[in-house]
Amino acid sequence: MRMTMAMEGAALKLAPPGPFRPNSALALASAAASSSSSRASFRRLSSSAAASSSSSVLADSDPSASGSLSLGHLTRPDFPILHQEVNGSKLVYLDNAATSQKPSSVLKAVLEYYEAYNSNVHRGIHFLSVRATDEYELARKKVAQFINAGESRDIIFTRNATEAINLVAHSWGLSNLKPEDEIVLTIAEHHSAIVPWQIVSKKTGAILKFVDLDGGEVPDVSKLRGMLSKKTKLVVVHHVSNMLASILPIEDIVQWAHDVQAKVLVDACQSVPHMAVDVKALDVDFLVASSHKMCGPTGIGFLYGKSELLTSMPPFLGGGEMIADVFLDHSTYAEPPSRFEAGTPAIGEAIGLGAAIDYLSEIGMQKIHDYEMELANYLYESLQSVPSVRIYGPKPSRNINRAALCSFNVEGLHPTDIATILDQQHGVAIRSGHHCAQPLHRYLGISASARASLYFYNTKEDVDNFIEALNSTVNFFNTYK
Amino acid sequence: MASTATAALSLRLFAAKLPFPRRPSRPPPLLLSPPSSAKPISFQRIATAQPPPPPPPPRASSSPSPAQLQPIEDLPPNLRSIVALFQSVPDPKSKYQQLLFYGKNLKPLDQAFKTRDNKVEGCVSQVWVRALLDSDRNVVFEADSDSVLTKGLAALLVQGLSGSPADEIVRVSPDFVTLLGLQQSLTPSRNNGFLNMLKLMQKKALMLAAGAESNGNGAVPAGEAKDVGIGMNSDTGVNRSSVSESDVDGGREVSVEKSNLEVDEVDSESSLGSRGQRIRERLEKELSPIELRVEDVSYQHAGHAGVRGSDGETHFNLRVVSKEFEGKSLVKRHRLIYDLLQEELQSGLHALSIVAKTPAES
Repeated sequence: MRMTMAMEGAALKLAPPGPFRPNSALALASAAASSSSSRASFRRLSSSAAASSSSSVLADSDPSASGSLSLGHLTRPDFPILHQEVNGSKLVYLDNAATSQKPSSVLKAVLEYYEAYNSNVHRGIHFLSVRATDEYELARKKVAQFINAGESRDIIFTRNATEAINLVAHSWGLSNLKPEDEIVLTIAEHHSAIVPWQIVSKKTGAILKFVDLDGGEVPDVSKLRGMLSKKTKLVVVHHVSNMLASILPIEDIVQWAHDVQAKVLVDACQSVPHMAVDVKALDVDFLVASSHKMCGPTGIGFLYGKSELLTSMPPFLGGGEMIADVFLDHSTYAEPPSRFEAGTPAIGEAIGLGAAIDYLSEIGMQKIHDYEMELANYLYESLQSVPSVRIYGPKPSRNINRAALCSFNVEGLHPTDIATILDQQHGVAIRSGHHCAQPLHRYLGISASARASLYFYNTKEDVDNFIEALNSTVNFFNTYK
Repeated sequence: MASTATAALSLRLFAAKLPFPRRPSRPPPLLLSPPSSAKPISFQRIATAQPPPPPPPPRASSSPSPAQLQPIEDLPPNLRSIVALFQSVPDPKSKYQQLLFYGKNLKPLDQAFKTRDNKVEGCVSQVWVRALLDSDRNVVFEADSDSVLTKGLAALLVQGLSGSPADEIVRVSPDFVTLLGLQQSLTPSRNNGFLNMLKLMQKKALMLAAGAESNGNGAVPAGEAKDVGIGMNSDTGVNRSSVSESDVDGGREVSVEKSNLEVDEVDSESSLGSRGQRIRERLEKELSPIELRVEDVSYQHAGHAGVRGSDGETHFNLRVVSKEFEGKSLVKRHRLIYDLLQEELQSGLHALSIVAKTPAES
């Protein structure tokens, strides 16, 4: 009783402060996941507190004080890897845009698969294989529900988002692109969203066109609109930028693209883990994401595609499972999703992804998003206070939200030097380099940047530790100038 | 009291010399027991009866065990002193300061030489390396980087390898970097600036030796290309003279180098301060060495905080060859020297880097 009320108290505290409302794309996308499910998730959270390990700290904490415990504090105990020392300091893990950590429930699910019912899927008749198949297909269903896809068969399991984009490029791209067809991308795309299209455009004669940034250091959306014409066959865009932290208005872009009969592929690697994404509401044609960025294991990701598109696409990889009949001189192919899942899949990992989705859903994507918005602002403001720092991407404002990550440089210092000393002397893990976005870095006139990226299990203390370590690191180098 | 303090000091210094690629801030508790498996490799005694396995052409291995590390005597002399210097710097932060100090003093590379050919592959920082031959046909390097830590490592390599013949450079295994205690990874990857730098330097040295011009400066006469025997020299032996015998072209370079060394010796010794002189006298009196070299390298440590506030004469390299060491383990030999120099250690001498051999070993 008291737990529930305290939790709702906590929920109120976690609602984003006034000026920072989610932008329109997000509002629509999260409509499905908003009030009713978040209330349900609060209840679930509090009632499961006593029983499950997923939010064990609640059971121990003083209910009256739990209002001051952030989502980060509440979930940290679920992640064993966070509780260690590196190089003599407590680990502060701020490289979540590269990969996320996994909660115990996910680790347990994968272990349980291998311990109790590991068996090849779709082929067997015996007990274990039936169970494995059921769990594997259940994971597929969970993914479909998570992004509101409607049909499980519209979810294709791949190795990761990169493979998913390659699948679309080779399967849809090679059979649909003609010379002089245009593909519109932004210069802020991840290499995985650019290179497959370079390969395919060489083979088909299609042309790649890139949208650069506007004055606010976000991809110029009106220029993008202007680039669309009846020659455009495909638009490839990120939902959330892994370097700029900017969020694109996917709904609008999809509408403009459909007006010229172009398809849209959305790279949702940095959005699906952090907010509710609704493919129906966005009306995207293709969407990709990776499990390892959303608390799931590595080695598994997925492609969402509209049914009519998938059924018309030829196979990508050939082999077992994706066939109907095999003769010596030809074969016939299965329906999607099997058509695009050749060979034995990463069964345990898919099940692990399902467990990750359960974990995230139990907290509630709206709650995660709201907390991360708070963290995002805190990170940005704190980082701004460091002398000579330059943060890339838009300034957060009334209309502009940033994701909870900051790519930055400190004048006169190389980001690798910063990252090295942060790690060696302070145990803070950030990333330095071009973050698989060389065109973007070239555009910005830099060779590399440092990046700190957060997830819902980070806390304000993590940010404080990072900033303190950063200041100390900057001083260390400045005394040697 | 006095002796335990010295013992404690020498233990700490001694311990700092051990390679511990994992946790340099907490040296292993070793120490007065005779070295068994935990041989202090910095002054590894190489059995003359059986030559060690040839150091393979430079390959990367992660965390080599002490037995596999290239014997320090096989490193070019400049590199050896750098390793010794880093080993005597106790804590990681000071080591980084020392590294930065090196980088700061690295001669900047002319923009004209920042070419694609000179660029080290890797995705994190930009590093350029230039190689040329000097008048004695030794390889000389220049380098630069936009990252100060990488620049420090580059400076280390430039200083450590320049002036050496190509075949010696090519034989250097990257393992030595673990001795520096900088937590430098040896895992090959595009991110491993140090490893990639060393590889490029070795490749350029090889190319120079083979007569190819790496930057259009001064062609090497073709006839000398053949006998350098890079990486194939199995008879490395204990000391440099045996190296020179088996290696026709190398011999010339080695002897040239030796004379360079002697010149250096004279220079650094003639400028020994009072402490340096005292050390010399004491060791001469007590050990009757057949060879004694005392080198003041305090200037190299100007970079790190441990030295601030003292007025020089804090760090010395010692090379002592004496019959007194016969029958004594390496640990005992070092203890002997420390005991003899107690007073100095208590009055501002900060660290010693010691090579102690018997006449048979030298």
